[in-house]
Amino acid sequence: MEPSANEFLRGTLKTIVLKLLAEQGRMYGYEITQAVKERTRGQITLTFGALYPVLHKLEQEGLLVTESQEVEGRLRKYYSLTPGGSQVAVQKVSDFEQFMEAMRILLLPPPSLAPGM
Amino acid sequence: MQKLSTAQIKQLHDHLIRQGASDALLYELLDHLICEVEHYMWIGLPFEAALDKVLLEASHTAVHYLNQTYQTAMDADAMRGATLDDIVFEFRNKYYGAYDLRQSYRLSLLNALLLGIGAFLMLVVWVAAFNQRSFSYLSPLGLLWLVGVSCVGVAVGSWFLHNLRQRYMEIS
Repeated sequence: MEPSANEFLRGTLKTIVLKLLAEQGRMYGYEITQAVKERTRGQITLTFGALYPVLHKLEQEGLLVTESQEVEGRLRKYYSLTPGGSQVAVQKVSDFEQFMEAMRILLLPPPSLAPGM
Repeated sequence: MQKLSTAQIKQLHDHLIRQGASDALLYELLDHLICEVEHYMWIGLPFEAALDKVLLEASHTAVHYLNQTYQTAMDADAMRGATLDDIVFEFRNKYYGAYDLRQSYRLSLLNALLLGIGAFLMLVVWVAAFNQRSFSYLSPLGLLWLVGVSCVGVAVGSWFLHNLRQRYMEIS
């Protein structure tokens, strides 16, 4: 289960991050991993090695902006969506829902494909 | 929730430096790891066990991979004002030491040159004066001696000032 779960995760990580930021407004990296873990009841755990490249890429694409703030004596980097990022978030989530619907249909037992049986 | 002490944070910081975390990455990753350690301590692990668990994840390979994804080339403005050292060290760890050595290379070279010339002149004058059994500040030999002494003085003084400035920068 674990390796293939990671494989599925890789394609949806952007969507997850955008969706969470659209809901919460402003989050830092560790907060995102914890939010994902809590919501999926521990089924999906993000490592920093998977999360930060995605955050950085989204920032490069102009979908996220960052601000650094000092919390408890150390710098913390907060991410939030740009207006363009909010649009992409909505788009991605609806695309993903369509995809999941298609997958559900695909996983159903075929209705009456085998006339001979 | 238990907070890490400064010494414990420094331990994590040093680990990341050793693994080669770049400037862009360092503080964000440090904050992340501190949060993780604090979380493990909160669920009951002692600090050492929590640290080991977190550091296992932050291996050299992981940090190296992240460094690569965080690399962005300098923009045109930064490029215009960049020296060769800045370009060479763009994606490298500047706090490791080599960057500082390169930065102060010209000064070190000049100091060494002055010190060498000064010491050589003083030696020559000392030997010549020893052979003649006489020495006066107003003779050519005396003049050379003064030049030698001032060369050595300037070199030592500038080296001292540079060290003083560096120490001051480390503290602030």
